[in-house]
Amino acid sequence: MTSLAWRMLRHRPGSSAATLLALALGALILTAMGVLVESGLRYHPAPVRYAAADLVVARTDTTFTSKDFAGEINRSTVALPEGGTVPAALAGQIRELPGVAVAATDENIPVVTAVGVPLSGRGWGSAALTPAELVAGAAPQRGDEIALGGAEVGSRVDLVVGGVLRTYTVSGLVTGDAVFFTDAQAAALAPHPGQVSAIGVRAAPGTDLDDLRTRIAGLAGDAHVLTRDDSGLAESSADRAAAGLLIQIGASFGGYVALLIIFVVAATVGLSVRHRRRDLALVRAVAATPGQVRRMIMAESALISVLAGVIGVPSGLAAAHWLTGELTTRGFLPAGFPMLPGALAGPAAFAIVLASAVLAGLLAARRVSRIKPAEALGEAAAEPAGGGRGRLIGGLITLALAGSAALAAVAATGQTAMGAALGMLYLFVLAVSLLAPWINRAAARLLAPALRAVFGTSGYLAAANLRANARGTATVLTSLVLAVGFGGSVWFLQNNLERQAVAESRSGLLATRALVAPAGLSDSAVAALRAVPGVRAVTPVRHTTVLATLMGDGESVAARAVDPAGLASTVDLSVKSGSLAALRDGTVAVSRTQASMFGWDLGEKVEMRLGDGTAIHPEVVAIYQRGLGFGDVILPRATVLGHTATNLDDEILISAPASADAALRQVAAGHPGSALVDTAALTGGLARDLALSAWLNRMLIAVMVGYTVVAAANTMVMSALARRRELALLRLTGVTRRQVRRMVNAEQIGLLGTAVVLGGAIAALTLSSVVRALTGNLVPYVPPLGWAAVLGGTTVLALATTILPIARLLRVPPVGHIGIKE
Amino acid sequence: MMVQHEPAVRVEGLTRIYPADGEPVRALAGVDAVFARGTFTAVMGPSGSGKSTLLQAAAGLDRPTQGSVWIGGTELSKLSETKLTELRRGRIGFVFQAFNLIGALTVEENILLPLRLAGTRPDQVWLNQVIGRVGLTDRLRHRPSALSGGQQQRVAIARALASRPDVIFCDEPTGALDTNTAAEVLALLRGVVDEHGQTVVMVTHDPVAASYADRVIVLADGRIVHDMPQPGADRIAEHLAALGRRRAVTGAVTSAVTGSVTGEGVVR
Repeated sequence: MTSLAWRMLRHRPGSSAATLLALALGALILTAMGVLVESGLRYHPAPVRYAAADLVVARTDTTFTSKDFAGEINRSTVALPEGGTVPAALAGQIRELPGVAVAATDENIPVVTAVGVPLSGRGWGSAALTPAELVAGAAPQRGDEIALGGAEVGSRVDLVVGGVLRTYTVSGLVTGDAVFFTDAQAAALAPHPGQVSAIGVRAAPGTDLDDLRTRIAGLAGDAHVLTRDDSGLAESSADRAAAGLLIQIGASFGGYVALLIIFVVAATVGLSVRHRRRDLALVRAVAATPGQVRRMIMAESALISVLAGVIGVPSGLAAAHWLTGELTTRGFLPAGFPMLPGALAGPAAFAIVLASAVLAGLLAARRVSRIKPAEALGEAAAEPAGGGRGRLIGGLITLALAGSAALAAVAATGQTAMGAALGMLYLFVLAVSLLAPWINRAAARLLAPALRAVFGTSGYLAAANLRANARGTATVLTSLVLAVGFGGSVWFLQNNLERQAVAESRSGLLATRALVAPAGLSDSAVAALRAVPGVRAVTPVRHTTVLATLMGDGESVAARAVDPAGLASTVDLSVKSGSLAALRDGTVAVSRTQASMFGWDLGEKVEMRLGDGTAIHPEVVAIYQRGLGFGDVILPRATVLGHTATNLDDEILISAPASADAALRQVAAGHPGSALVDTAALTGGLARDLALSAWLNRMLIAVMVGYTVVAAANTMVMSALARRRELALLRLTGVTRRQVRRMVNAEQIGLLGTAVVLGGAIAALTLSSVVRALTGNLVPYVPPLGWAAVLGGTTVLALATTILPIARLLRVPPVGHIGIKE
Repeated sequence: MMVQHEPAVRVEGLTRIYPADGEPVRALAGVDAVFARGTFTAVMGPSGSGKSTLLQAAAGLDRPTQGSVWIGGTELSKLSETKLTELRRGRIGFVFQAFNLIGALTVEENILLPLRLAGTRPDQVWLNQVIGRVGLTDRLRHRPSALSGGQQQRVAIARALASRPDVIFCDEPTGALDTNTAAEVLALLRGVVDEHGQTVVMVTHDPVAASYADRVIVLADGRIVHDMPQPGADRIAEHLAALGRRRAVTGAVTSAVTGSVTGEGVVR
């Protein structure tokens, strides 16, 4: 059966190549995405900071427990975005345990050199955990002494610690790139008073580590006791964040692509079966049982998919390599992040492609069962022009579902609308694919007068073909609608989100100036700014992340912590209900999106956890519109004090007349690393950040849209090539070559017009539901060039993929094709 | 004619009604016929007379609305689609008007296809004899597209013979061929009957083609109107012409009575 399948494939190089291309591209994309997921999932942080500790006590994540409907306990564990802490006093208790040689607390104090290089500040006691060896000089003894690498003993060094410039004397040189203060100084500078980021333990020789671990765990409460191999988990590192990002990107896009592959491959395999109806009927008549023909079709699919895997998987590995380079250059991945070679991703992608091809073959083979062997005797292998009743009913039900999803998406606000909109997009395309025979026939009837008027005889023939071949062109229509609908909505969605975020941020910022510092700003800066004459209001802003549960799962939510005093003069969040004036410790303001997604109401006490895992129950006092520009949760700064990684502010918004600029600049000069900027620069910065992350989204969306385009091109080329006999017949009956070409053009324009109208309607509906949910506007923003690109691109695609193959067919004299089987 | 105990093909009360939008179309209206082993029968009749429908039903390609079909001792109506296929590939050979061959396969592979799908080992001696008989020994490695129409039909005959079937059904086997080539193909079929004792049932509208047969059956409006030993091409033509004249006179009445519409579109 396999060799028979192989011969069949080789006999139809055109359609085999089309299927091969679709599958190989699918394998490529899946492999590349798989490498990202695999590298993210199997990433295990190597112990660096605690390489010399036997055990490390730290809190790295937080767990939400909830009961689902069935009463089963559901646990969701989320990494702490600001890093967890453990009580400093725990170190004393651990030191009392037998077998503990050293129990040292470790702090992570944000330090920036005068030239802006960030360093990690630690207490000397923790040097034993790394270990950081003293190369020269002595350990710091006094509060103004430090030990670090790359300096001379006895020299004086300026450091910005905790947002304040301080001068230290270098008492000793150490290996590594940390700055060591005395333990007392470290405790005083630590961002979390009374708390430390970790406690490292070195056991006395001969101690049973497992036993010691159990005993420490008894004291540590809900903090983890990590072995040395796992101690990398207690380090906050860019690598860990990157691992999470990789999983997220790879899994979500890989999932969409897998769906697309099944759809596309089912379409191409289905078409190739349709075009070989006559051959298959003959095989059925003379020899093959329905089962044998089905197996042959599946063997063909499997053979092609194996070949596609052989081509696609290595190219996918190469693509992953390229992508890694790009992600590193653009700062999504830290340099040197351990990417895996794809030992699991490659075979997994191979298996997915094989499985979807066999599945597609199975679907196509079901159609084979309906081919009657007697068709081999017929003059032409005609298939029934209309679709079955089941197809019509299925299509109408899907359409109804899509319609109700559209209503839900328009009615809903926030994140739920996003899900509904994407589901709606898929449902509409599915409905179109089911109803395509009827749509085609209706379109043919509607367009017939226009086509006749414009193209004359050719137009008349084109309309007749569209009507008669309504079912055969269903796949072409569907793939065109998919490409237009997908390209027109998902691509512009990104545009709308960016634009909206920047617009909200711009119109929401009342402050004219801002003091910004990448390393963080201290209270002293706030006080100094408030003292400047003429300043009306000063609002320190801290960017953080809070955790809340949605259907039992812990979700990260972007949040800002602000000083409520004078907030009304610096920021306009466009409050819809409640008032920001009521914002104080124990309360919270949330965006409309957030409120609708989590089901929070004004006046309700809601549960959430701060970035270090501390549970809070604030009351919702205001619900505002501008979540895209300012984050979905606004907390009073007092609530997060001591609960963020640096305990410093990220920016300070200033409402002041231009005359105060000179004085403000002086404050900036007094705080090294900070700069006074116009607030327009803040929104500009936001746009740049968004553009950066948009690059990734854009690229992945482009890959998906590109894939749908390739699929559409495939189906059109296949359909065009399958018409050689029909076109030869037309030419023999006296239709000139030019008329044939015009006829094909007219058909394609009819099909294209239908596809653009349907795809455009689907895209517009999807886009406006999402945009309305996020912004309240019903009309989405679509860049004029975007329209031109989608419409022009589809037109060029549809014409090129049909006209070129047809032109090739027309070069051969018609007699050469008339004897050929369809 | 030497007749064995059991005929190669027997049909009884064969009726086939095609559902249609208006009146259902009755393509066969109770046909009884026996095809003895080692005979060559031509089935004739005007367009729409039901001859192709008869062939399809007798060959197990289509299921009759009523009546039964025996191939050898096997009654077809109780067979599943898979059993029916197995019976076709083992005991029935087919030669169609055109497009008989799979373009992807060579001549030899086309000939062996039914045996290969059945999973049976070909009888090499018999095969060599068959291939020699149809004169394709030096063409085995060619693709069908490299052969002339007559050669393609000879490949189809070789394929039909390969499994030594009970009967070979031919549907206008010379319909797409010129006179000389048609004569070669018909002589080949005749030879197969005479020298190997094969049974052949051939649908044709060409009196010359029918003159190669032993017996001619003429169908009109789904019924057998003549069943005669082959009287020669001229007499056959006369019979058909007479039939045509009668139908031209009584056509309207016949249509009203039988509820059938005769024409190309009716019988598939």
